[in-house]
Parts: sequence; structure tokens; C-alpha cells
Amino acid sequence: MPTPGTSTDAATIAPIPADLAEWLAGRVAAYLDTTADAIDRDLPLAEYGLDSVYALSLCGDIEDTLTLVVEPTLAWDYPTVNAMAAYLRAEIERPAAT
Amino acid sequence: MRYSAFADAERLERALGDPGDPAAVFSYARCADLDDADEFPAEICRALDEFGLARHYVPVEFGGGLADYQDCLQTMRMVARRDVTVAVAHGKTYLGAVSVWVGGTRAQAERVGALVGAGVPVSWALTERAHGSDLLAGEVTATPEAGGYLLDGEKWLINNATRGAALCVLARTSAGGGPRGFGVFFVEKSALATESYRHLPKQRTHGIRGADISGVAFDGALLGPGDLIGGPGAGLESVLKGLQLTRTLCCALSLGASDHALGVATRFALGRELYGRGLADLPAARRVLATAFADHLLAEAVSVVSARSVQTLTGEMSVLAAAAKYLVPTRTEAMIARLRRLVGARSLLRDAHEHGAFGKVERDHRIVSLFDGNTLVNLNSLVNLFPILVRTADKGVEPDAEGVRAAATVSLPLAPARHERLSLLPRRGSSFLLGLPAAVAEIEALAAHDDRLAPLAASARTLLSTLDDLYAVIRAQPSVPVAVPTSSFVLAGKLAACLGAAEVVQLWLRNRDAAASGPNAALWRNGVWPTLALDRLLAAVGVSAPAPDSMYETAFAVLREQVGAGLLPSLFDVRLAEAGL
Repeated sequence: MPTPGTSTDAATIAPIPADLAEWLAGRVAAYLDTTADAIDRDLPLAEYGLDSVYALSLCGDIEDTLTLVVEPTLAWDYPTVNAMAAYLRAEIERPAAT
Repeated sequence: MRYSAFADAERLERALGDPGDPAAVFSYARCADLDDADEFPAEICRALDEFGLARHYVPVEFGGGLADYQDCLQTMRMVARRDVTVAVAHGKTYLGAVSVWVGGTRAQAERVGALVGAGVPVSWALTERAHGSDLLAGEVTATPEAGGYLLDGEKWLINNATRGAALCVLARTSAGGGPRGFGVFFVEKSALATESYRHLPKQRTHGIRGADISGVAFDGALLGPGDLIGGPGAGLESVLKGLQLTRTLCCALSLGASDHALGVATRFALGRELYGRGLADLPAARRVLATAFADHLLAEAVSVVSARSVQTLTGEMSVLAAAAKYLVPTRTEAMIARLRRLVGARSLLRDAHEHGAFGKVERDHRIVSLFDGNTLVNLNSLVNLFPILVRTADKGVEPDAEGVRAAATVSLPLAPARHERLSLLPRRGSSFLLGLPAAVAEIEALAAHDDRLAPLAASARTLLSTLDDLYAVIRAQPSVPVAVPTSSFVLAGKLAACLGAAEVVQLWLRNRDAAASGPNAALWRNGVWPTLALDRLLAAVGVSAPAPDSMYETAFAVLREQVGAGLLPSLFDVRLAEAGL
């Protein structure tokens, strides 16, 4: 399981996409050179042939856009777009550690 | 200059004696005979056990002597410079155990540490006949049974599969597989029912002929619950992290092979006379040797900095290890091939020159770019890192300057590695690449007061613009993680060359004062060796940055001196057994 992420200062957070699954599907689609609506959000990313190490790159996108530090292996532990989005939503809504 | 990481290497040299003495246990003559007979170097491995080489395989926190990865690398290099087969045969135990250092509990690591320290050979069973490097396609399964696991299936082309008393085995723990569907198991053969496993025959090979390249098949082998290293889905992660360490240490094999080949070729050129002229009197021959020496020194620099980075930039090893494991073996292969043309017919003769060592070292070394993640696997690893490397460069992420400085300053003692800091991604990019602009500015500032550094400053500027151009090309590439095109592999090779060049620049900057006197000062003064190294590395990128001819002549003079005096061909001052003890 990934260790819990940490949110950074609220003042520096860029707008967080309202629909995290939609945003993630877009990122995955960009890596696969396709469109977001072509991504089945309940299908493991590996089914698209996405290299298991390349999938780690998503953690960089997440860090940039959500300013949320996640384990590189996030996409291994939450292998579908919907699973990842649910995890990230919970992390974002978790009260920031003091 | 002296570098304390060679202390154990020199101690091993003293223990083993002159390899040119046929009476020594670990002599060139003995190794050639073993090779002829496809025979495992058992007696030599016993001598290495008596020396306590295996303590370098066990981190200090688990009861061993591995405090600094450089000590391990340079000591293994001394083994490899005598015989790559022996280094492969003995050093495999580090690979066998690394999953436990990276992913095991303290109790597991101490158990394995005690075995390795006692001289028990451990093997690492990853690959299978039908799947090669594609680890996630593995079909060996571990099925929960009576609190433990049942292991079934075949691992093939495994170094020491037969001779190893224990193995770390990657096995499928969930039928669906995937990156969380594999576990690593520590298997002690003595704990298995004898009918639950069998060895597959040793394969005869064209190089490392004495090595135990075989396989093992399990049939309901019962493992205890404590034999699972990490969680049931932690196998791939611990293997990938372990590979970051083993790929770095593989440089020892290439450096040792290169030490040996360079020595044989240099002695040949110095001794060979035709029509009253020595071969080494011919400028073209000297240039071949000097170019090979430049390649050797840059491989040494990349190896030294990468191994130190294990302890100072631990989280960046995914990129550093892949670059080193690509650069050092492939460049060493090419260098040995060029030297072969200089040595000529004698490179093929078994008995004419130094026991046929040249041909043997070339055959033996060819395994290094194939195993432990072959060249294409390592380039693919770098392709996978393109997004994060370009993103961090574009964002101007601050490099870990302290980590770079500590990695490059060889007089600084380093704290032991904290393996829990290994990461599958260099989260903040590559500090050597991110720190290149500052390093180049530092060289330019030095050159502003010293004309003799003008060639190095010019090459450093070329390096920086080459890296920028490379980023631009990579940025323009579509991301294609499914079917990686050839062009991406080419770009990865160029990026590795730039990273290696950035390591070269840092190593020179941080040690040039300490190296300004002493036997090898001529290499360090006026930026001779880094200018030569940048010439070679930029040429690999397709960019011309020629070093002055006089620098090649300087390098040849140092090479001749080192080989003649029985010193290691090196940036550092290291005495081999041949120098007299």
C-alpha cells in the first residue's frame, strides 16, 4: 500500500480537477496517444499494454497537478483509473497533517 | 591520487600474488586451463572465501562488511581483472542476496547475512526459458499451502542455479500476475524435500565457460511462511530496486576486463618490433591505445561516481544505474574490439601471448552487456524516465547539490546506504543533469584564469548545448510507452552519454586539487582526462569535441608508465600484485 500522501500549503494549490477520473483518463490517454473516452476506467492500465514502469510516470503528473506526493507505485496498487481516482480523492479530502 | 576505497582491493592483490606467476592459485595460466576444460574455478573461489570476499556482499547493518559500495566494486574489479569468469561465479552471491537487503525484514536479512558470510553461494532465479527479460510473464508459481507456499515451475539460464545452496526466486503469487502479482522467495535447498526440485544441465558457453550457467525446476517445493521476502506482491519492486544496485556493481566486471585487455594490448605494443621499429613507436598505434585508455578512464569515472551515488543520491539510482549499465559494458566491448585489431593475430592464438588472455577476456566480457538487464532493457528503463527527466529539467528543479558533491568527492567518507531510500523513479529528476549548467559555469570560471583549461571549457559548453538539444528532441517525441520506437532507444543512449559526461565533469571538479600532485597528476592537470572523456562521449552522441592531440599523447605516456610499473590503469594510484609487494 502506498504511504499516505501529504498535501502542501493550500495557498499554492492549483485548481484541482473536479472530476479526477476524467483528468486521470486524460493523462493515461496522452501517454497512450489516444483520447480520454477511449479509456475504460475500470480496466487495469496494463491491459492497454502500458509498461509497468512507464505507468509510474503518472506520479509526476499527480504531483504537478494535485500537489500531492504519492508513491511511484500508486498505479500498481490502484491499477485502474477509477481506483486511482478514488484513492486520490480520499487523499485530497483528508485533513492536512499538522 | 590515492583513494581509500582501493584499500581492500590492494589487500586482495597482496593475498593473491602475481597473476603472471603460474604457481599462484589465481593465475592467468590456471584460468586459461580451466577455461579450456569448461571447469568451474572452485579452488580459486575457495581462496576468495578465505580472503573473506563475501563479507563485501553483506551490508554492515546485517552483520557483514559492506559499508561502502565502492569498496565492493573495486575489490570485485580486482577479481575480474584476473578472470571475469571467477568474478561472475563468486560475485553472483551478492545478486542472489540483494532482494533480501532491499525488501526483507531485519530477521530475514540477518539470516541470509549469516549464510553469505559463512561462504554459502546464493543464486538469483529471475528468468525463464520462454520469457527472457520479460519478468512479468514468468510462469513459476508460489501457491499458499499450510501456512507456507508451494513452489512450482522452471527457472532457466541462472548463474549458479546448481552450485548455489540457496536462491532468491521470483514467483507468481497471484494468477493474474501484474506488477503486484509476484513475490520473491528465499529458498534453501537443504530445507526442501529432495524430490521437489531438480537441477537443469549446465549450458556450455562461448565465454565464461567455467561458470555454472544452468537452471532449476521446482515441483511442489514446500516453503515456510518466513521464506517470502516482503509482501506477496512486493517481488517486482524489490527486484527492480535490487537491480539498481547490481547494475551499478556490474561495472566492476567491465572495468576488470578493461584493465586486463588494456594491459595485454599495451604490453604487446611495447614489446612488438617489426623491421627494427616498435609498434608503440607508430603514432597510429599509440592513438589506438590512448583512445582505449580514455574510454577506460571515463568508464572508471562513471563507475566510481555511480557507486558512490548509491549512498548519496540513493533515490536517483533508477536513472544512474541504467545509464551506467548501458554505458560501461557497451563501451568496454567496443574498446576491446578496437584493441583486438591492434593485437592482431595474437588475439586469436591460445598460447602465443599471455596464455591467450586477450581472446578470452573478450569472450568472457560479452556476457556483461547481456545479463542483469541487457543493453536494451537498460535503454528502455531510461525511455521510461524521459517524462520525469524532461519535466524536472523544464521546471528547473533544484538538484541535490550536496548529494552530487558527496558522490563526486572521493576523499569524503560516506555513511552506509539506506536501502529504504531506493526508489523506482528519480522523483526530483537527475541531479547530475540538473546540476550541469552550474558545473559548466564553474569550469568556465576556472578557464578564464587558465588558458590551459580552454579545451575542457569548450567541450563542457558543447556538452551543455548537446543536452539542451537532446531535451528538445525528446520533448518533441510522442510518448509511446507501448511499442517503443528505435529512435527512442537511440535518444536514451545519447542521454546516458550526457549523464556520464556530467559525472565526469563533477569527478574532475571535486578532486582536481587533491590530484594535482602524485603519479597520475598528468591526467588531472589541465583537465586532460575529462577533456578526453568528453571527446569520446560526445562522439557517441554524434557531436564533435576533439581533444588536442597532445592530451592523447599525455594519456599514452601515463598508460605506458602504469602498465610498465605494475600499477592499475586508473585515474587513481593503485598497486597491483605485479608491482611487487
